[in-house]
Amino acid sequence: MTLLDISDLRVTFPGASGPVQAVRGVRLSLAPGESLGVVGESGSGKSVSCMAALRLLPATAKVEGRLSLCGIDMARASKSDLAQIRGRAAAMIFQDPMSAFDPVFPIGAQIVETIRAHRPGAPARAEARALLARVEIRDPDAAMQAYPHQLSGGMLQRAMIAMALSCQPRLLIADEPTTALDVTVQAQILQLIKDMQAEAGMGLVMITHDLGVIAETVDRVTVLYGGHVMEEAPTADLFDHPAHPYTRALLDSIPGQSPGRQRLSEIPGSSPDPAKLPQGCPFHPRCARAHDRCRAEAPPLTALSPTRATACWSPL
Amino acid sequence: MILYILRRLLSVVFTFIVVSIIIFLMMHAVPGGPFDGNDMPVSPEVRAKLMAQLGLDKPLPEQYFRYMWGVLHLDFGVPFQSPGETVLQLLGRAWVPSLTLGGLGVLIGAPLGILLGMAAALRRNTWIDYLASAFATLGLTIPVFVTSMLLILIFAVWLGWLPASGWGKPEKWILPIIAYATIPMATYARYTRSAMLDVLTRPFVTVLRAKGLSERRILFVHVLRNAALPLVTVFLPMFIGTATGSIFVEAMFRVPGLGAYFVSSIETRDYALEMSLILMITTMFCIAYLLSDLAYALLDPRIRRRR
Repeated sequence: MTLLDISDLRVTFPGASGPVQAVRGVRLSLAPGESLGVVGESGSGKSVSCMAALRLLPATAKVEGRLSLCGIDMARASKSDLAQIRGRAAAMIFQDPMSAFDPVFPIGAQIVETIRAHRPGAPARAEARALLARVEIRDPDAAMQAYPHQLSGGMLQRAMIAMALSCQPRLLIADEPTTALDVTVQAQILQLIKDMQAEAGMGLVMITHDLGVIAETVDRVTVLYGGHVMEEAPTADLFDHPAHPYTRALLDSIPGQSPGRQRLSEIPGSSPDPAKLPQGCPFHPRCARAHDRCRAEAPPLTALSPTRATACWSPL
Repeated sequence: MILYILRRLLSVVFTFIVVSIIIFLMMHAVPGGPFDGNDMPVSPEVRAKLMAQLGLDKPLPEQYFRYMWGVLHLDFGVPFQSPGETVLQLLGRAWVPSLTLGGLGVLIGAPLGILLGMAAALRRNTWIDYLASAFATLGLTIPVFVTSMLLILIFAVWLGWLPASGWGKPEKWILPIIAYATIPMATYARYTRSAMLDVLTRPFVTVLRAKGLSERRILFVHVLRNAALPLVTVFLPMFIGTATGSIFVEAMFRVPGLGAYFVSSIETRDYALEMSLILMITTMFCIAYLLSDLAYALLDPRIRRRR
């Protein structure tokens, strides 16, 4: 059974000048214990796709397509089903730990209430304390009593990981878990997520714009652009020989790949506005290889090998 | 924390003194005196004698210090308009209707307003929201004497269900309580709606949903608790403002409360009563603000730590 099976996902938000399609036929899948990276610039639809998987988007968003999580059809799940799945079958870690906790309750109480919501009767306080110790918070007793504003971003992100793990989920979705943190803390948090994943045998979806994070944490990668999947590949293959020009451009813009001073390579143009995507391939205005067909017709996601696929008329 | 409370209490004393000086000066800047009225003309000799008896012939600073010295000993003087009793006795008597009607008005209006505001926030941009907002705007913009008049017209004159005015039997309380309740209700409906909407858009609410908490728990434990912070601060000052009686409501319903004495004490230059009324309300507002700040600190850990 797959942990996550999303296909032909379409998400539309109401906009000031008509509906905006943020996700246009995305597919994502994940087997138990596997890890998947979802890469893209802001506005690529990466967070929206994962929020849609847990049905966390506002009611005004129109979600279509197949959404299956741990074998449950999320598109048809009732409110009480959703409350049982969220946090229990699939947990999520968010981008900004500083604003992810309720400011008026101590950290401990917020972990305890998660445990109580899903496993009534469990020794919630003792478990919460043990979880805080497991995510390497030095003084777990103090952290239990601390209010969110009393802890650093790194500590809060650890506490959020502890909270996400509190009900032994089979799937962990991490939405840019290190973006808001100091560089020195980022590596520690990534290592912690990796360790926890290996220890618990969870599936992991890592949403990020940072290819460095991808290289360190996941087995497979899905690259999104303008609400479309551009490329799917095992991590090593993606870095060694990307198939899509957009992936190539992303890799080229990572600084410090070759020694010596040189001008950073950049992708011309700006990341796409989901409200006004071009006709054809969404990447064509910024693509050096674009030809007439790219401008007229969006390329379908086509398999290159059993493990790879790309949406490009003339892949690399 | 104790140091903070002491500092605040000291500022209450300071406010008290400043307000007393200002009121005293303003009071005496108004021309005329307590025995200049045309209702009961007194001869100049009698007037002079009365003024001397009450100490009103002394220079202003001396009068001020005499009054304040009395206040220090809880002696607020004698009301000229009712010389048979002390100011304290008069206030004690007039307080009862104001506190009963105004207090009940706030205690009934505020929770209803909170419910209305919650309903509006949760059903945003539906007819419930529009209805609640319309009601809140009307409640705040229609003057309370117009509301009172409408209530009397509908329930006392047309329907004949309730007595139009008076004090005493509980059925006479109903209309003034409704009149009093409209403003706290409207204010709370507006405050609650905007506070709830503000909290509902914060990222931690999404996190709570992602944890799998029930909507009811998210709403009543987390959102309401966060939205309560601004609501708590307005409560006590609003309670004091309403429970000290409204000149208009008490005049419309002929309730013998504090409100009427505000007007009559100014009209008749009843200095001791005027001073005492204003000082009493000043002190109560100061303490109300102090208490609501303390409550705020109790509810919000971020403020608790800072002090």
